[in-house]
Amino acid sequence: MAKARALDRRRRSVRNIRKITRTMELIATARFKKAMDRSVAARDYTRQLSCMLENIASSGIGVVHPLLEVRPNKRTAVLILTGNRGLCGGYNSNIVRQSLAVLGQWKSEGIGTQVAVSGKKGISSLRFRGIEIADRYTSFDDRPAFDAVEPIGRAYLDGYSAGDFDRLDVVYTKFQSIAKQSAIIETLLPLAPPESTGSDTRLAQVKPEYDFYPSSESILEELLPASFLSRLFKCFLDSAVSEQVARMVAMKAASENAGSLIKDLSRRYNRARQSQITGEIMEILGGVEALKG
Amino acid sequence: MSSKTAPVPATKSKVGHVTQVIGSTFDVAFAEDSIPAIYNAVRIESDKNGMSLRLVGEVQQHLGGGKVRCVSLGSTDGMVRGQECVDTGGPLTVPVGPATLGRVFNLLGEPIDGRGDIPAGERWPIHRAPPPLTDLSTRTDLFETGIKVVDLLTPFVRGGKAGLFGGAGLGKTVILTELIARIASAHGGNSVFAGVGERTREGTDLWLEMQEAKIGDTGRSVIEQTCMVFGQMNEPPGARLRVALSALTIAEYFRDTTGTDTLLFIDNIFRFSQAGSEVSALLGRMPSAVGYQPTLATEMGALQERITSTSKGAITSVQAVYVPADDPTDPAPATAFGNLDAFLYLERSISEKGIYPAVDPLASSSRILDPQFVGERHYKIARRVQRTLQRYRELQDIIAILGVDELSEDDKLIVHRARRMERFLSQPFLVAEVFTGKPGEITRLADTIRSFEEIADGKWDHLPEQAFMYVGSIEQAEEQAKKMASKN
Repeated sequence: MAKARALDRRRRSVRNIRKITRTMELIATARFKKAMDRSVAARDYTRQLSCMLENIASSGIGVVHPLLEVRPNKRTAVLILTGNRGLCGGYNSNIVRQSLAVLGQWKSEGIGTQVAVSGKKGISSLRFRGIEIADRYTSFDDRPAFDAVEPIGRAYLDGYSAGDFDRLDVVYTKFQSIAKQSAIIETLLPLAPPESTGSDTRLAQVKPEYDFYPSSESILEELLPASFLSRLFKCFLDSAVSEQVARMVAMKAASENAGSLIKDLSRRYNRARQSQITGEIMEILGGVEALKG
Repeated sequence: MSSKTAPVPATKSKVGHVTQVIGSTFDVAFAEDSIPAIYNAVRIESDKNGMSLRLVGEVQQHLGGGKVRCVSLGSTDGMVRGQECVDTGGPLTVPVGPATLGRVFNLLGEPIDGRGDIPAGERWPIHRAPPPLTDLSTRTDLFETGIKVVDLLTPFVRGGKAGLFGGAGLGKTVILTELIARIASAHGGNSVFAGVGERTREGTDLWLEMQEAKIGDTGRSVIEQTCMVFGQMNEPPGARLRVALSALTIAEYFRDTTGTDTLLFIDNIFRFSQAGSEVSALLGRMPSAVGYQPTLATEMGALQERITSTSKGAITSVQAVYVPADDPTDPAPATAFGNLDAFLYLERSISEKGIYPAVDPLASSSRILDPQFVGERHYKIARRVQRTLQRYRELQDIIAILGVDELSEDDKLIVHRARRMERFLSQPFLVAEVFTGKPGEITRLADTIRSFEEIADGKWDHLPEQAFMYVGSIEQAEEQAKKMASKN
């Protein structure tokens, strides 16, 4: 019967899909561990850096720097971090949704935007929705290198200083824990005044005395961009980790879904096959009986 | 039911004697030189042992030696060997003509509505040859029903045949009743309804409903233009096998003599095949595929070929076809398929979503869904809707495994619109008003086409899916969306 054969063919294709999703799950798990280690390492560095800034701020010298200065917003730069690949559940579409919301908001307030997108998925979704993309990056995968992020960060610093834009928003997926990652919007420029970075209180209580050489300005000149870059790098790392987690979870669910679909299809196939056999036996028996009489 | 039997044409009758009774078939021995012809009606009337028996049978086989095997068209309870059996000299006849309008008959042409006898008039035999091919009409006009899914995807042909295929409990009878309510009440000609092997209660409901329903603004009830013939599931197989022919004969009379468009509704043509199978077994024929009678296609062909439009007049027919075990490859529905101009296939997975009429937009089709007949615009949007739904169905496995997020942007949009189209194919029915609490919607074909074009073009992407359920034109969906929004 055609029905049984069609069911069998469908079951076979679902089996192949499951093979793929299961492999993807394993790969994502392995990559997640590595990405996670890198992210943890960077986290400590970033935290120490902001701690240092905080200490300088509380050391009594007035902190004044162009990167900290809040200017009236006329133009916002938006950096959107997505993945190059799909098969990671809602990871990319959540980011795209957030981005559209924030872009829509700026637009309604009459503020211009310049959009940069990392990741093929984000680029294609946003292009599909007719959003103009100024810069595209597709070289970031599960191991973003600082060397690759730095030029992007420098370009933003230069642009900000030159007044090309007055604010930098990064839309990325923050890695909070293995169970929770959320697509958020973080404002990196102007740099939030150091007081509000909210770093480790224990470290903050220790108030070392600083001697600046040659001057506090030159130290800040080094420290603020470094802090910005490390925070930007952290966004890339968080995105990478979140992507792997999302992929792990999505592929696990997909494998399970495929499993239950296979189970269901098998049941239907067996039933169709059995009823076909029953039908044929009945026909033969009927024929035999009829021939007897 | 009336105990009176209809008068038999006065011919020189010959008398035989019952020699064997097997279920609803029986053998009669006649004198060798006066054997009744095949399909002749034979009559048994006796009052033996205080048991009154009035029975008509039909000769099916000549067994040799003056013996014939007959199919009983009534219950064989009380039959005994040796009873006298009279050959009526011709096939069973039924009364035809205007006198049949407003009445309810059994397959023998006896009124069963308790309103007295039919005045003696013309009677036609139920076995007749189909009209010759030179007389057949070649008209292909669209027959508008006001049901969106029907008009858009399976347009009915005026003077053509439409089939409603579906498994148990998918709403075949409801759609058929709905079509009667929509078509018959707006229709000038006569209608004939044949109840073949379905529930007696449904027949009664329909009869009462028809008395209440009015034709247009004329103030006359639909029943005055309608004749009903019933052989329901309580009847023996012989009755269920022939009741469709009786009804068809009455319809043929209207077609051939009055020249008006006649409507013929049959519920359910599968029971005709089923009864044929029962009779076949009793007659000792060897069962064929899936246990059906070997003559399945012949019987179906003999019936369906007569339901046709000629140069004299047209019969537009709508037939319900039960699909056993939801398997359309079963021989009984499969033989019916080929005879139809339009067929609606009712699908269980759609009725499970709560979408009624549960017509499967991909399995249903019509001969005239062709730009030549319905026009380029209608054809294009119908195919576009089908393409969208087809793609959605292909994607369903992927969605089930990976989720909607993994689809490409184009596919997401297709899914988005397909889900809305799918729901928009539902429609409140006139006859289901008491159940749904929504008045029935008659949607003009132009509105249907425009609405679907706008959905396909994405004009209504912003409305929630639920707003598309059970509305007429797209404007009502918009209204429903507003109502839903104001409630929350």
